Amino acid sequence: MAYHDDLIEHAIFLSQLNLPGDPKQVDLRRAVSAAYYALFHLLTTEAAQNWKHQTQRNRFARMFDHGRMKTCSSKVSSRPLPADPAEALIATDLKLVADSFVTLQQARHTADYDNSKVWSRTQVYETTAQAQDAMTAWMAIREKELAQDYLFDLMGTRQ
Amino acid sequence: MPYLPRGVAQPTELIKHLNALAPFPQGVVNLRYTVDNDWSGDPAIFFWITLSDEAAHPTILPQTTRRITNFITNKLDPAGKWDLIPYFNFRSQSEQAKLKDEVFG
Repeated sequence: MAYHDDLIEHAIFLSQLNLPGDPKQVDLRRAVSAAYYALFHLLTTEAAQNWKHQTQRNRFARMFDHGRMKTCSSKVSSRPLPADPAEALIATDLKLVADSFVTLQQARHTADYDNSKVWSRTQVYETTAQAQDAMTAWMAIREKELAQDYLFDLMGTRQ
Repeated sequence: MPYLPRGVAQPTELIKHLNALAPFPQGVVNLRYTVDNDWSGDPAIFFWITLSDEAAHPTILPQTTRRITNFITNKLDPAGKWDLIPYFNFRSQSEQAKLKDEVFG
């Protein structure tokens, strides 16, 4: 199983621990973090697949920067949908991926660094579901030109 | 000159539009918001939404949150009209009764 699939399964597993009792904050926080990284690693792995030399792909994937990826995703989120219905369908899926990336990254940052924030199981269910939806949407469009452009732009290249 | 997002420069106007969001979609018990920077310093609006326990049930939670998120995004357009990145946080009424988190009200 791919690493991103393991991560999302791990997030779901953590979010359901200690049912029907109260969840532990550590489990909820780690679940949020794993959900973000599931999407992060899916996208960076996909981008690295485009690199010709297989032995360098893991190094390539490490070149991505969270902040640049957020900037790129925010731009995609605020872009109007194209008029062409076929393109609009792809753009809608891509917007879901980009929106989710921005949201999950913020959630992950809070979960990992802000100990004053208390998480509930519903918040974490919502977060893992969002990551799953984004991953499904990505798989539907991954070969499309719009999606491939997004992968390239995630590196923070000049546009 | 530093760039000031419309949602920060015109808070009264923003509040007026936020107040005009009601009535909220089914399942919303309480809705609060805060305007703040996100982790990277970008201006953002955080929504803290308490759901009824029925609406927050795991089997329908994704549909519930999508409906509410779309409702707010379409009516307010935080990023497009107010230059604020929207972040949505949901919890159930029974969770909030236990946690008594101030930000959720």
